[in-house]
Amino acid sequence: MDEQTTLLEQIMAYDFALYDLQLFLNTHPSDTNALRDYKMALEQSENLRRQYQSKYGPLTARYLPNTTCWQWINDPWPWNNKEV
Amino acid sequence: MWFYDKKTQYPIKIKKPDPRMAIAILTQYGGPNGELAASLRYLSQRFSMPTKEAKATLNDIGTEELAHLEMIGTMVHQLMDKVPPKELEKLHVDTNYVIHGRAVYPSDSNGVPFTAAYIESMEDPIANLNEDLAAEEKARATYDYLISIADDPDVIDPLRFLREREVVHYQRFGETLRIVRETMGKKKYY
Ligand SMILES: [Fe+2]
Repeated sequence: MDEQTTLLEQIMAYDFALYDLQLFLNTHPSDTNALRDYKMALEQSENLRRQYQSKYGPLTARYLPNTTCWQWINDPWPWNNKEV
Repeated sequence: MWFYDKKTQYPIKIKKPDPRMAIAILTQYGGPNGELAASLRYLSQRFSMPTKEAKATLNDIGTEELAHLEMIGTMVHQLMDKVPPKELEKLHVDTNYVIHGRAVYPSDSNGVPFTAAYIESMEDPIANLNEDLAAEEKARATYDYLISIADDPDVIDPLRFLREREVVHYQRFGETLRIVRETMGKKKYY
């Protein structure tokens, strides 16, 4: 697996953990352990996202790299299989 | 509203095309227990949810189901991509091919188009949440069937992930139902 995919999959793992905690917190809004885990995963995800976007381009359209060209449209899109 | 993140919720990298499996999985795209039905059901029902926990749960599970719809579409696409028409004919998936080519179309595995008749949205939150619990179990059972006929780990792995999510959603809807019942009980409903 190349470096870009490894980094992206790390972000996916943290973002998944965040979403799962979000659903849990919706029905357990005062669970301090879950709140603490959410905070930790959020910091990790934001950190990795910053790294990824500066190296490989936008994960969301609301990211403007220092270039003269709109990079949001660049491949791969999530349904494209890079390794085939 | 929503913003798009350029990634699937869980990695999908299918190396071996399998058009028959693609058509089997297609039911989770546009079939009765599929992800589109799930998403539309929860995102429609959320408007009449009475408590803050219930509003958030329906909103956020409905949103996650959209990410699952994308995962299923990705799987169908990767399993069908570039398979020669003659091959599709040999595998008996040519009826789907002559209508849609190798595109992803919201139907069940028999080609029956998606319909909103698969879902209900009522003002009564207790009725809605009981439907949602059943819907999650039916989706879970469908993933069990799909896993039982799959043999490629690249296919089984994301199917297992999706199956687990149905179990978690069932859990969250159960908690939501309890919260809504308690709240309504305090307000001297029945
Ligand atoms: Fe679900």
